[in-house]
Amino acid sequence: MAIDLQIPVFNNNSEAELAGRWGMSIDQDLCTGCQACVAACAMENNIPFVGEVDAGYGRGMHWIRIERFWQGTFPEVKMTPYQPVMCQQCHNAPCEPVCPVFASVHSASEDLNLQVYNRCVGTRYCANNCPYQVRVFNWRDYADARQRPELVTLQNQLNPDVTVRRRGVMEKCTFCIQRIRHVEDTAKSEGRDIRDGEVVPACAQACPADAIVFGRVDDPASKVSQASKASRGSHLLEELGTLPNVTYLAGGSTK
Amino acid sequence: MFKKFFNALNQPLGRVGILITLLVVFSAAVWGIVQAQTAPPQPIQFPHNLHVGVGIQCLYCHPGALRGPSPGLPTETKCWGCHQQMAITKTSPLLKPLVQAVESNQPIHWIPVAQVPDFVHFIHRPHIAAGLNCEDCHGNVSKMTVYQSPQVMNMGWCLSCHRAKTEDNIQNNPNHDPAVTAMLQEKRTKLTDCSTCHY
Amino acid sequence: MSEQISRRDFLKLAGVGAATTAVLTGCGPASRYVTREPYTKMPEYTYNGLSTYYATTCRECSAGCGLVVRTMQGRAIKVEGNGNNPVNLGKTCARGQATLHGVYNPDRVTDPIHRSTRGSEGADKMDWDAAIQVVADALTKNKPEEIAFLMGMAPDHLFDLVTDLAKSIGAPAPVRFGALGMFEARTTLMKAAEDTFGQSGLPFFDLGGADLVLSFGANFLETWLSPVAQTREFSKMRRGQQTKRGYLVQFESRMSQTGAKADEWIPVTPGTEAMVVLAIGRLIAEARSLSLPPAFANVDVNSVAAASGVTLETLNHLVGLFSSYDHPLIIPGGATLGLGNGLQAAEAVLALNALAGNIGKDGGVYLSPINPLTDAYHRPASGSEMQDLIKSMSDGKIKVLFVHGVNPLFELPVKLGFGDAAKHVQQIISFATFPDETALQADYVFPDHHGLESWGYQKVATGSASSVLSGAQPVISPFFNTRSTVDVLLAATQKAGGALASAFPFKDEVEFMDSKLAGLLTVDGGFFSAPEINSFAASFQQYGGWWKTTDGRIAPSSADVLNKTFKAEAAQFDGQGDFFFVPFVSPILGEAGANKPWLQEVPDPTTTVVWNTWVEINPTTADKLGIQDNDVVKITSAYGEVEASVYKYPGIRPDTIAMPFGQGHTAYGQFAKGRGVNPADLFGPSVNEAGDLAFAGLKVRIEKTGKKRQLSRLEGVLGVYGFDAKQ
Repeated sequence: MAIDLQIPVFNNNSEAELAGRWGMSIDQDLCTGCQACVAACAMENNIPFVGEVDAGYGRGMHWIRIERFWQGTFPEVKMTPYQPVMCQQCHNAPCEPVCPVFASVHSASEDLNLQVYNRCVGTRYCANNCPYQVRVFNWRDYADARQRPELVTLQNQLNPDVTVRRRGVMEKCTFCIQRIRHVEDTAKSEGRDIRDGEVVPACAQACPADAIVFGRVDDPASKVSQASKASRGSHLLEELGTLPNVTYLAGGSTK
Repeated sequence: MFKKFFNALNQPLGRVGILITLLVVFSAAVWGIVQAQTAPPQPIQFPHNLHVGVGIQCLYCHPGALRGPSPGLPTETKCWGCHQQMAITKTSPLLKPLVQAVESNQPIHWIPVAQVPDFVHFIHRPHIAAGLNCEDCHGNVSKMTVYQSPQVMNMGWCLSCHRAKTEDNIQNNPNHDPAVTAMLQEKRTKLTDCSTCHY
Repeated sequence: MSEQISRRDFLKLAGVGAATTAVLTGCGPASRYVTREPYTKMPEYTYNGLSTYYATTCRECSAGCGLVVRTMQGRAIKVEGNGNNPVNLGKTCARGQATLHGVYNPDRVTDPIHRSTRGSEGADKMDWDAAIQVVADALTKNKPEEIAFLMGMAPDHLFDLVTDLAKSIGAPAPVRFGALGMFEARTTLMKAAEDTFGQSGLPFFDLGGADLVLSFGANFLETWLSPVAQTREFSKMRRGQQTKRGYLVQFESRMSQTGAKADEWIPVTPGTEAMVVLAIGRLIAEARSLSLPPAFANVDVNSVAAASGVTLETLNHLVGLFSSYDHPLIIPGGATLGLGNGLQAAEAVLALNALAGNIGKDGGVYLSPINPLTDAYHRPASGSEMQDLIKSMSDGKIKVLFVHGVNPLFELPVKLGFGDAAKHVQQIISFATFPDETALQADYVFPDHHGLESWGYQKVATGSASSVLSGAQPVISPFFNTRSTVDVLLAATQKAGGALASAFPFKDEVEFMDSKLAGLLTVDGGFFSAPEINSFAASFQQYGGWWKTTDGRIAPSSADVLNKTFKAEAAQFDGQGDFFFVPFVSPILGEAGANKPWLQEVPDPTTTVVWNTWVEINPTTADKLGIQDNDVVKITSAYGEVEASVYKYPGIRPDTIAMPFGQGHTAYGQFAKGRGVNPADLFGPSVNEAGDLAFAGLKVRIEKTGKKRQLSRLEGVLGVYGFDAKQ
């Protein structure tokens, strides 16, 4: 059912300006809920761990989470298919118009929703507005080794391509933009275009079931475009008109 | 309680207090800014002028600029390659730290100067590929001993070039070919997009 | 200023000024406090700002997945799968991803230490020469039959060295054990294959080629055998086929992460799985109008239906599935094998596979390829074999025990008495990388490098259709003053001198490794070949191993399978309680992941709980007993008791409770210690017919304690069942 929420459409970019449009397709029939993507994302993006108490308060810093729900009671009980949820990189992102300092902006060149850490002042309005609840906030200096001595040796595994965030800053899945940039730079230096499947975000790279496919959705020949066309594909909370760039392929016996 | 505080501030003593606090804050800020922009003392007062003078290219010691994000600092083996063959190495007090470092296999603790903040990801390669010379951003290094930045490397300065080069191209595009214009627009958008440097 | 300023006021002002200045000096630019230390001698292949990648093998479990580790300036920063390695084909699991939190863990054992009082955390640092002398003395000054080696699940080059060393001095062969091996019931699987096919080997279930899978307790998407490979094969089964979507039926009393992916979850009464298998076999034979094979002759379908709770209708429906699908595959595993009749259940499953005609065919049952370096798969010890070792220890027959790669004081149930038996062992030498419970009771800890800092190879047991030897090389220099155990043992043999030294004329680990790899120079079918060992080793390191390009699956003979007879009986259970107890290995933590903080923070797939242990109780049962979420209950078996917070879990039988294994450490670092409980504390010594521990064969009691301890969940407490369901 389409609800007219009268969300104003912010046409951020003309087609001419777009260098490309990145999207993802997630096959829920294949996702086994193993959380390899969750761990891979955390390792790639220097996501701090918050500990049991803060996780209990809902302050866990998971950029991607595997959602599942229970239906029914024993013995007719089922679990809904595992659903990896990360920032949907909405074309019409509700988190963008509400940021007072323009830290949550739409990338004019890549059709991604960006989080610019140095601009963020921590109003958390963007997280409030996000219908998918995918934005996480640094409530404390979780990554500061001066305050948490156990991090002194663990700091060595930080990825230098990704900023380490301090407290008061909002963060979320970036579609591994550091990898997109790296591949763009490599392709540019070799004088060629980016090949389909060359940019692989950490989650897609780790997924043992190959449930996550990433690529250019503006290229009709790319794997992700082909996958997104499937009749069992849909978007999360489609009726809100956010135009997400992630397509979910339903599990179950549907063709 | 606040009334008492404000009353106290209104007193001459209070006003002097405010003045002192403001002065301290101001001078601390000025000190911080000045400190950030002056070259710190390095473990070896490396004379770039001398080395450029004998014909050494920037990319000889800083080859990473051509390939990737960081040009890098040369290892002491790079210095030693020439310096082990020079008589002055044994006699000059200026080269003593280098000799010590090489003999004890310890690194030289350089203090990085041409730094951008952690939340900026700057990559050298595309800038070299776009035809920039090292001195376009880093100044006339052939006149410097230890490196000093000729201007503040802040975002406005970066953007001034990013905008100028692409805007100029669009303005001066002679044949008004829409495909070319589109490509230039794409380039301008890319170079002024937040995510090009901040991610 | 018209008024005088008093001295007191002046001091106050000066104080304000000083305080402000003191605060603001912290605002200096960061570059003032940072120095850069370039390499003194940079490796030739390194470029500033660009990463170097090394191929190695993951050591978080014994599957042998290949890794490619990204390093930058000498630091390992990201783990990826090795796309070449046939086991994982470029993929990793959560445990592999978090292995960096192991190598850079703040609680690693940093130096060789001598512990004068067992159990005390304080210990004296030693130097490596003294440590090697201790090892040399232990090997030479004791009677060989009094030396024991206890090692972990992975059959690697260290295992080969220790096997050769033990043979050389006349000591008993090393024993391998791990909690995962216990929960996987490997001995049962192998014995079932041996009894059924007359051939020894670890069964290989070709998931990827099947289109109908009936899994009796096998949680193959979690930690069972080779989860990354199996997940990939599951994916192929599901959507990778041209004709139909693969169908999965899971038979378990508690819906696992794997069971949640099933198209049908059938909660059989625990202990009756073997009966259900036989009933299905009989019904299929009848449906196909075959003469009833002896294997399925002794089963009465109606009594099976009554005992197991699987109705006749469901059984017939399952039989009907066999005619709609072309490649049925039945897999035994997990709790089904961890019962008193586990071996019978496994053999019944193999018989059912034979009836389905899939033995040695694509999508069916094989024996796993043997790795390139040996003739046969060497399996880890079963529960009863471990009990034999413990008995030798308590009888004082073992004077020195070397422990590597396993933490028996945590992984073995307390009731088996390893802790007490250890008191009768004169000298315990541990090579643990982390300060685990066993290292805490050891007299010496001579820490091995972390897996990412190590050379070596690992023989892959299963998971791939090809014969694989996965290679390892250090991706970083050793971060602490640790030393490779192979190097320590080789140095010890040199120090010992005499026959021992001449038996091991290797100057270091790499030379030993190369001596073993040299055997592959003349073996055909590998994906690369080389004329001599140096170029072979170079390619071995570059690609991360050596494997054959040919199909290595062994098609067993299915000649006599259906003539074996079975008794359709339910399993016996230990204990007097009302509830069946189903412990399962935490899919996230595995057996050894509790010390890695990011693994602790990864939510459990089915409950989303982090950083703790929980007990799963059916919501109806919980309501009946007056138990709420987060209530702490005491669970008592015939052998022990534990307390844990309740999670009302819809996907479990009302007469069953479940608990994850992986927490409950009393040592093992700050992230693991004192967190959660260990369900193995409830286990007893009962074993199944093959000797594997009957870990799922317990009946337990639940008591309320009146305490509450909140579980941290990612899902939050609201909305688990949906807003319209009754809470």
